[in-house]
Formats: sequence, C-alpha cells, structure tokens
Amino acid sequence: MPFSEAARIAMSALRANKLRSFLTVLGILIGVSSVVAVVAITEGLDRYMANQVLSLGSRSFSVQKMPDIITSRAMWLEMQKRKDVILTDMDAVKAACDACGEVGALVQVTRTVKHGRAKQPDVQVMGITENFSRIGSVRDLISGRQLIADDVDTARPVAVIGADVMDAFFGETEPLGKTILLDNHEVRVVGVADRKGKIFGESQDNFVWLPITTWRKFYGTRRSIIIQAEARTMDLMDTAQDQARVVMRARHHLGFAKPDDFSIETGETVMDFWQSATRGIYVVTIVVTAMSLIIGGVVVMNIMLVSVTERIREIGVRKALGARRRDILRQFLVESVLLSALGGALGIVGATAFSMALAAVLGGIMSADFSAPVRLWAVSLALFVSSLVGLVAGIYPASRAASLDPVVALRNE
Amino acid sequence: MSADAVPPSAPAVPPSAPPAAAAEADGSLIRAEDLWRTYVMGAEEIHALRGVSFTIAPNEYVAVMGPSGSGKSTLMNLIGCLDTPSRGRYVLRGKVVSEMNDNELAAIRNREIGFVFQTFNLLPRATALHNVELPLVYAGIPKDERMERARRALAMVDLADRMTHKPNELSGGQRQRVAVARALVMGPAILLADEPTGNLDTVTGEEIMRLFEKLHAEGNTIILVTHEKDVADHAQRTIHIRDGKIESDEKRR
Repeated sequence: MPFSEAARIAMSALRANKLRSFLTVLGILIGVSSVVAVVAITEGLDRYMANQVLSLGSRSFSVQKMPDIITSRAMWLEMQKRKDVILTDMDAVKAACDACGEVGALVQVTRTVKHGRAKQPDVQVMGITENFSRIGSVRDLISGRQLIADDVDTARPVAVIGADVMDAFFGETEPLGKTILLDNHEVRVVGVADRKGKIFGESQDNFVWLPITTWRKFYGTRRSIIIQAEARTMDLMDTAQDQARVVMRARHHLGFAKPDDFSIETGETVMDFWQSATRGIYVVTIVVTAMSLIIGGVVVMNIMLVSVTERIREIGVRKALGARRRDILRQFLVESVLLSALGGALGIVGATAFSMALAAVLGGIMSADFSAPVRLWAVSLALFVSSLVGLVAGIYPASRAASLDPVVALRNE
Repeated sequence: MSADAVPPSAPAVPPSAPPAAAAEADGSLIRAEDLWRTYVMGAEEIHALRGVSFTIAPNEYVAVMGPSGSGKSTLMNLIGCLDTPSRGRYVLRGKVVSEMNDNELAAIRNREIGFVFQTFNLLPRATALHNVELPLVYAGIPKDERMERARRALAMVDLADRMTHKPNELSGGQRQRVAVARALVMGPAILLADEPTGNLDTVTGEEIMRLFEKLHAEGNTIILVTHEKDVADHAQRTIHIRDGKIESDEKRR
C-alpha cells in the first residue's frame, strides 16, 4: 500500500473523531508550544540584550577597579581590596596604547539633583573627559553643545543633562543657560543628550555629565575612575586590550604569576554572562517541557490502542481483502505519526500566538521594541520531535493490529 | 476465542501426492486432501475438521451446508485462505496454500478469493467506489487503473449511479451488491460467500441470489456457505458437513 493511501485512511480516521483527536494531542500541543515559545522568547531577549549592551560600542572597552559581574559577597570584598584606578593610569594608557584611538575616563556618583524647588532623585552624576561621548556608540545631543577640552582644562561648572533631567526641571521651557544644583554646587546647562529609553526598566536618560575636573572639585579625588578606551579598528581590539593590560600591570608592579588586580570589560563580557545564564534556562526549560512530550506520547499510545480495539473488525476485513502485516502496521503508524505531528503543528500556532503576546507584554514592561521570533529550526525540530513521539507511541499498538489473526478479527463484534 | 492453532504435527502430505502443477492437470480449481483443523482449548484438543477431501472444478456453483458447530465455518476459513490446516493439503489454482506463510496468504486472498460476508463488512466512512477499490490498493495497482476497474465492477452489479454513496446511504441489498463488486474486482478464482442473504429480507435475498446466478452464468466459480436450504438450492452441488466430516456431496442437474 502506498504511503499516500495510508495517509488518506489516517486522515479520515482522525476526522471521524475530531474531539478525541484534539484532546489526544493536547499534551503534545502544550509541550511543543512551550518549547517553541521558550526558544523564541529567549532568543528575543538575547537579541534585545545584544542591541542594548553592544550599543556601548563593540570597539570600546573599559579598565576599572571592579568587574561588571560580581557573583558573591566574598568576591565583592576581595575586589574592594584592589588599588583604585586613577587619572594618571589613564594618561599612561593613552601614552602607551598605540592600538587605541580615543582614551578617556569617567567617574560617577548617584545623587539627587535640584533646580529651584524641583528635585530629581537617583541621577547618575558623571565626571567625563571631553572625548567620552565619542567613545563607543556616539551619543548625540538634541540641543546645545558637548563638553569640550577647554571645559575640562579649566574645570568649568557646566553640564550636559539627560532627557529625564530636562523633563523633570524644564519641561517645554528652554534648558540651555539655566542653572541646576548638585549638592549646593551650581552648574550651567550647556547641552541636552538625546533620548535612549530603558534597559530592563532602567532609564538610560537620568544623568548629568560634568567635566571630570569639575566633578573632582565637587566630590573629591579619592574615587576610582573608569578608563574608557576604543581600539582603532575591530581587528586591534585584542591588541589594544593587551597593551592597556601591560601598562596597568607594570604600574601595579605585578609579577608574572600574579593575576590582574583590575578588570578589563567589554560589551561582550556582559553578553557572555547573559548568554551562559540563558543557556541554563534554555536547557532546563527544554528538559521540563520534554517531560510533557513524553506524557503526550503516552496519551497517543493509549488512544491508538483504543483505536485498534475499536477497529479490529475493520482490520479483519482489510486482511481478508489482501492487506499484509506491513500494510496494517503502516496504516496505524501513519495515523499515530500524523496525529502527533498535527499536535506539533497546532503547538507551533499556539507558540507563535503565545510568544507574540509575551513579546508585547515584555516590550511594554521594558518600554522597548521587543520581538520573539519563531525560528524555522525550532518549528522543524518541533514537528520532527512530535512525529518521533508519534512513531514511538504507535509502534506497539500498530504491531498489535498487524499481528491480529484475520479469522479472530472478522469474528469480532 | 483463545484457541491456539496447532502447527502441522507431521508432514501430512502423502508421499504419493501429485506435484502442484498436477492440480491443474486434472482440471480441478480446488483440491482439498484430508484437511484437519485442530484447536487446543486448555488441555483439550478439539478437532473442528477431521479429514475433509474434495475437489471443485472451475465454474462450479457449490453450497456448503451444515448446522452450527459442524466445522462449516472452519472449512470456509481454510477455503478462503484466512487460516491453514493443521494437517492435510489444500491446493488452489495449482498453488499449495497449506504451506504458505502470512504474506503469501495475504497475496492469495487478495488475488484469488472474493469474500462476500453476511454483514457486508464495508468500511463505513468510505464511498462505494473506495470500498471496491480497496483490494486493488493492496494489490499495488496505480490509482487511475484502480478507479477504472472499480467503476466497471460497480457497473456490473448495477450500481453505476451509487458510486459516491457511503454504506449508510445505501439499502441492505445495495450494500451487499457493493460487497459483491468488491469481491469480483480482482478477478478472483472463487467467489466465497458466507450467508450472503442472512441479513437481508426475502425479496432482497432473492435479488442477491439472482445476481449470483448471473455471475455463475458468466463463468465465475461460487462457493456458498449457508444453513438455509432455500439458499443452498440455488447451487448445482451441495456439500453437507457434520462433526468435522463430509456427510454428503450431491450434484444436481
């Protein structure tokens, strides 16, 4: 019997019991849709992270006292013992790193900023070198000017503010030339940076930039700075980091065997951490949902056994008309595979709807564009796995049907 | 039924048995030699058939009669190649059926036997045409030829206008005619009918018997299993079975 014939018989059998067929594949449907949805959402998050994190600029890296990712309190305490990174370190890196383009620095505190009676809490008050906005991704202004070398050299009390600060203090009115108050120090607004939105609900626009010299006048010189550097080309990324590392190790008099007592971070560091974390979630979720596929398979096997029992007489008739064992075997295997694959297909539809809904919700929470793409490979894998489940679940019922004695089967009422 | 078939206990074929080709040489279509069929029920052996021998020539119209429990159904299963004898030799159109395996039996049922059942045994969800097509599907015949042959078979039983009807849209007599068309579509050696009128009223039953007579006149070999004398009277020859043996074998006309 050709396959198309078996498929036709199977379809008509499934159509004859629509509700039963649907209930049977529910387990597979749920299993497949959760796998596909989890894959889609994780990938959506990955992409979102990559967009946001790597917007720091893929050619830029930073040299800092503390690493970006600290996984325990003990580690944090250990890191606290490191030497501070200081301004002269920046000058040394700038002098020695010929693979570097721009080298700058930043230092920051979180403060409440005032303007008249208005207050804006939790503002990142950053002291920067004049080239800061050129390192990594260029941050444009919507009005006014960037900080310039002269501001830094003369420690001028001027500031570029983020969009959140502008909203809080000035609304529709002109912010340029106005004065804001940082811990009783007056600074004049000379520029407003463009709006970046949020990463995981955290605003990227709640900041004030000061010349680093001005910042040090306000908040002191004892705070560790972050050196921001950019390799001249993508290819020089490793070389630039190595050169910076050599300079820092020399300045800290580290012996051969000693590990770095500073951290060099790139956007990739954060990405790597993120991806290794999500990989864990991936694997766990897929294992858990695979369980539901096993249950789905058991349900399919059970219903196939019922189906065989119901159709013993039909099997007898088919055998009387010349069906061989393998014809009957194939008929029921095809039915079982088709049933499960149908569940898989419905699961993909469910997953698409589910991940679209979740993407909308997550996008709302993070107030950012967020998409959870249902991938072709996930779809094919879902169909393949559900068909495989159907095949395995169908083997026993189908071989039972195939080995029926036609005499006994025909006598069955 | 939990009965297990007893495999042939000994090579039951007599040494003097003619080779397969000889079955045709003597002009017989069916040659049954000393057929035994034994079931084991627990510790007991039950002999449903105890040495049945007969031959049937091409284009014969034979009725097999007997009360229930006589072994009539067992004999029908052997003739129809649904089962093999525990002992003895069964040759159909020169082929030794009694030595065949499952797949060979399926093939011979497909090509040489046309079954007509008391309860019609049509597939309920399939159209008349598709029901008739079914043996052709198992024979591996391509789609176009299947449709053509199934249509011709339905026309032969005067159902050309009911091809797309499903069994529940047909009368009992029409259903049985679909079953007859299905039995004939492969051009089998024998038409094997088991109580073909058992589920029909008298008038419709007569109609089916007239169809059988027509098919016989056209050259088909028909074996009719029944316990009704009226039905058996349509045949030229009646074999009576009792207690697993042939009680009588009478030819008329």
